[in-house]
Amino acid sequence: MELVALQALNFVYISLTLALVALGLAVVFGLLGVMNMAHGEFVMLGAYSVLVVQNAGLPLLAALPLALAVCAAFGWLLEFFVIRHLYRRPFDTLLATWGLAILMREIVEAVFGRDYKSVNQSLPGTVEVLGAVYPAYRVVLMALMVAFFAGLFLWYRRSNTGARIKAMVSNPALATAVGVNTAVLARGAFIFGVCMAGLAGVALAPLVRVEPYMGIDYLLSSFFILVVGGLGSLAGLLVGSTVIGGSDAIVSAITSKTGGYMTVLVISILFLWLRPNGIVSRD
Amino acid sequence: MKRRTLLKTSTAAALLAMTLAGPVASAFAADDPVKVGILIPQSGPGGLFGPSSKNSAELAVEEINAGGGILGRMVEPLYADVGGPPSDAIQAALKLWKGENVEAFIGMHDSAVRGALDNLFKGQVPYIYTPVYEGGECADGVYVLGETPAQQLEPVIPWMAENKGASKWYLIGNDYNWPRDTNAAAKTYIEASGGTVVGEEYLPFTADNFDSNLAKIKDSGADAVLVTLVGGASVGFNRAFASFGLSDDVTRLGTLIEENTLAGIGAENSKNLFSSAGYFANIDTEPAKKFAEAYTAKFGEDAPVLNSLGESVYDGLLLLKAIADKAGSLDVAAMDKAAEGVSYSGPRGEATLEQRHTTKDIYLAEANGADFTVVETFSKVGAGDNCQ
Amino acid sequence: MASSRAINLLFLIGLLLVPFLWDGFVAYQLGLFLLYGMVGQGIGLCWGRAGFLPLGQALFFGVGAYIFGSVLKLEAGSLFLIAGLLAAILLPALIAFVVGFLVFIRQIGSGPYFSLITLALTMLGFQLANSMDWLTGGFNGMTGIPALPGTETYETLYYVIWAALVLVSGVLAYVGTAPFGQSLSATSQNEERLQYFGFNTALLKAIAFAISAAVAGLAGALFAPHQGIVTPQSVGFLLSAEIVVWTAVGGRASLLGPVLGAILIGFMASELRDSFQYWEVLIALVFVIVVIRFPGGLWSLAEDLAHRLPSFGAKGARERDIKIDKSRAKGPVRLAFEDVELVLGPVRILDKLSFRIETPGVHSIIGPNGAGKTSAFNVLTGRLKPTAGRIEYNRAQVGGLSRHRIARMGIARKLQIPSVFPDLSVDRNVDIALWAGDLTLAQMFTLRPFRWSTPLLNEMYDIFPFLEDGRRLAGSLSLGQRQMLDFAMTCLTQSPLLLLDEPCAGLSSSETGEMIDAIERIVGTTGSTAIIIEHDMQVVERLSNHVLVLNQGALLANGAMEEVRSDPAVQAVYGGGSK
Repeated sequence: MELVALQALNFVYISLTLALVALGLAVVFGLLGVMNMAHGEFVMLGAYSVLVVQNAGLPLLAALPLALAVCAAFGWLLEFFVIRHLYRRPFDTLLATWGLAILMREIVEAVFGRDYKSVNQSLPGTVEVLGAVYPAYRVVLMALMVAFFAGLFLWYRRSNTGARIKAMVSNPALATAVGVNTAVLARGAFIFGVCMAGLAGVALAPLVRVEPYMGIDYLLSSFFILVVGGLGSLAGLLVGSTVIGGSDAIVSAITSKTGGYMTVLVISILFLWLRPNGIVSRD
Repeated sequence: MKRRTLLKTSTAAALLAMTLAGPVASAFAADDPVKVGILIPQSGPGGLFGPSSKNSAELAVEEINAGGGILGRMVEPLYADVGGPPSDAIQAALKLWKGENVEAFIGMHDSAVRGALDNLFKGQVPYIYTPVYEGGECADGVYVLGETPAQQLEPVIPWMAENKGASKWYLIGNDYNWPRDTNAAAKTYIEASGGTVVGEEYLPFTADNFDSNLAKIKDSGADAVLVTLVGGASVGFNRAFASFGLSDDVTRLGTLIEENTLAGIGAENSKNLFSSAGYFANIDTEPAKKFAEAYTAKFGEDAPVLNSLGESVYDGLLLLKAIADKAGSLDVAAMDKAAEGVSYSGPRGEATLEQRHTTKDIYLAEANGADFTVVETFSKVGAGDNCQ
Repeated sequence: MASSRAINLLFLIGLLLVPFLWDGFVAYQLGLFLLYGMVGQGIGLCWGRAGFLPLGQALFFGVGAYIFGSVLKLEAGSLFLIAGLLAAILLPALIAFVVGFLVFIRQIGSGPYFSLITLALTMLGFQLANSMDWLTGGFNGMTGIPALPGTETYETLYYVIWAALVLVSGVLAYVGTAPFGQSLSATSQNEERLQYFGFNTALLKAIAFAISAAVAGLAGALFAPHQGIVTPQSVGFLLSAEIVVWTAVGGRASLLGPVLGAILIGFMASELRDSFQYWEVLIALVFVIVVIRFPGGLWSLAEDLAHRLPSFGAKGARERDIKIDKSRAKGPVRLAFEDVELVLGPVRILDKLSFRIETPGVHSIIGPNGAGKTSAFNVLTGRLKPTAGRIEYNRAQVGGLSRHRIARMGIARKLQIPSVFPDLSVDRNVDIALWAGDLTLAQMFTLRPFRWSTPLLNEMYDIFPFLEDGRRLAGSLSLGQRQMLDFAMTCLTQSPLLLLDEPCAGLSSSETGEMIDAIERIVGTTGSTAIIIEHDMQVVERLSNHVLVLNQGALLANGAMEEVRSDPAVQAVYGGGSK
């Protein structure tokens, strides 16, 4: 029973964190069509923000504004100098951001060094949930993530930002004609996306390794989540995270972690092949 | 042009062996420096150990040269990055060997690169392999300094059983040769110590979530975990391990948890964490302290932290000097003849070559916050049978 | 053309001289870059020509390396060695063909999905190579692979690699020039249009992917003795991505650009790696700048320069001296729509549409916007699958079949927007129409089909004299000329049934007149049946005597122009006016 509760909590946790990490890419890739290979590096920027704040003796929450500011600044620079020339050339965005990812890693390495950093748990210790001993920080984080996604869902439904972005991407000329400032909207969406990646980095920093190469962990899984779930919708993002996180968690629990990893790859391949529009498809 | 003529003479492998090992090698004038290729990772996942390796090498070169060099010739180190795949490493080594006429190599890199270099050198140039590895290397001209699973575990597992009550072991490692071979060795020592293996699992390099493993460990009732995860995976696993409160009741033993990994794991996650290695930054012996002081004096307080992998390059140069001086030559045939029984003394203590591997002291350290404290020293531990 | 061929030759000869100009070590190092470059050439075929980007090419490279590596280790006879080499080439090709065909048959275009599938496959390959250590040696690799018999790894093996590069370049150059390569280019420019010409584009793309995998397998096979070791990194994602990067920097659309990219970045990395701490930054910067500023890669810069040099004399246009007969069994076509429905989401686009066309000549479909005119063409040509009902063409059910199969049954379609292949010459556009339905797969790899001609083509030259300037790029034609080229291509297929969607859209009034004459004349000489969708009633009146009026997805009226015009239902829809 305790083991079942533990596995269930793990399942919820992995699904939520995957969704949080992939959220930024859902905007940048799902809506703008930019195959941002530097996505993981923005997660890394968020994590290093926590480190800076911790070294300065400030509480974890102070890392939020810092991470958002840093990611927004980097995001603006990237969008202005590189990405905006490449909208509608998805493969070229892939190549360019691949180079940018290397640059960002090298910058962080030059500033912070190559070594592993440890971010303190701001909420150490464990609590008992449904009979299972679970890390306190994770429990709080899970609650916050549920609230965050609920809020985002409501906002997204009510605002028509998503619709405007989709309209812009599918027909830029028409969107311009009806008064959508496509350049500003695209830049805003890109910056929002990378800031969400940074936010995920802040949230996860106390739990994971922090080093310049950490971004790789988050990049590929995010892409697979989006294609499995379906591009361009929040529901797709959550479904994709649940399928990817869940199949990994379940297969890993029954067989081995390698089995779980290979299952995720096979599931991704099957979806990309048979149902490229994802589970939550819009047509 | 000179480079080209050398290569023209190296058409056949046999001829090549002669040019390097025979007449040409002895044709180096006595006041020409000995060029030593130092192959260390400066990029890629191993790049973390590049700076401390390089510093250690510099320190060794400085000290060897101050003491008269190797065979009376000054040592000139030439560095190459072998942090990439074997194909890149071969190029880097070849550039030093053929392009710069390097006469000996020190290598601190993974076993895939070692395999590639074995195939490249084919016993034509002395090559000292320094990091911890799975054992079994026995090629001509190759001398191994690093710890083998036998060395790291044979004395340590009984100690853990006796002092920490470790009897039910869970083995977890990354999915490749070194962890599998280490665990294969561990099983025999665990059985011999009266313990049992309650679980064994291998993770892909990409693993960054360890929840399912932790659940299994918890469910298995293990009281000790042998960690052969490497680098970032080890950091992530150990952090998650402690955050679930497992560190209070379950002892962890790692065979590649050095100072950097421990820093990443963090002070608050390092309870009941042990590490077994041939070197730690704060071994409490005279030679180790002297080395650490010299390191800090030369590279400053903020220098990359000392660790067993980086320091192994220092010892590698000492070993090279010891063998070459005894053989009176850098010729592989002469060195191979002289190698058995060569001993030298360094920060790790005194070491003796047996079957191309060093018999040496092994330290067991316990994490104390973000630092290691050596809790036991096992002296003169053999590397096991590596030449079958 | 001639000047770029000259650069290619100079480049290859230059590579042959490297061991003499520098030394064996440089040549050995270069050998590795040439192997990677060959993999890049394969990517170039897929990406630069066919428009889809494979992200997992190292999978094929690694499979080739492991296969040939293990064969070398057995040190058996040369016959065995040759069989091993063949396996190292053919097995990757087979895997690629199966994967490619299965994916492309379901997905049109060049979206990221295929790329991500190949990426996931290469990650899977890496993990398998790592885990299956009994077979591959695991992470530590398959070690101790001996030299290729008869070669010295650091000396003569380079010439073997060079020869392989020449072979691969020759094959890729030939394949690219042949109808196969031209069809691939057309695929990347407008895949759907090519399907309406009866080309099985999924098969073409799968073959291209298989060729690229075979090349990667060959390069991998040579990598095994070159390195003496094969590790999972040779199968991995990182190597795959790096080769794509080198291909992009060198020039994805050129034959040898990928090789240039691999050499430049390879040497840059190897020189800077040990001397300059931030070498990765430098390479990343070079790379980002090339992607933004020179999407054609460095090779295209070199070619631009070369084009300013005097040309070696352009080759004359090929003579069209092979007469082929594209006329098919005559007899009226029989087309029948029976209660055809098409529902997309909440919208009912076709609502029990039924009609028959069984006489030759020009038939018109008219109706207000949204009446379902183009949708009727879409379900007939396989662009959309009818939700219900039957569509019969000459007694065969066509509803739901794929586009190229329907086209091959004798239905040609001209889309409303002129859809020519803009980056191909007018001649190549014409060729594709002539090949439609008649070019066999084997003929795709010969040069004879460029010489095909039909009597109808001569008539086309007569009607549209601008077509005779065959070397112009179709994209450089005026809108009117593109409409005419598109129309000419549709007719040149000599399909019994021609579907013409607003053939006069965007034409000036004099051009409209020309077009009407052309339609009348072609339909008259070929005896085919044409259905046109048209808004302009004057055009309809001049061309056809049979009019179908569609409204809200159903047939409103059907008959001669005068009958239809006097139909009160039609008058109600059109508000009494004739336009």
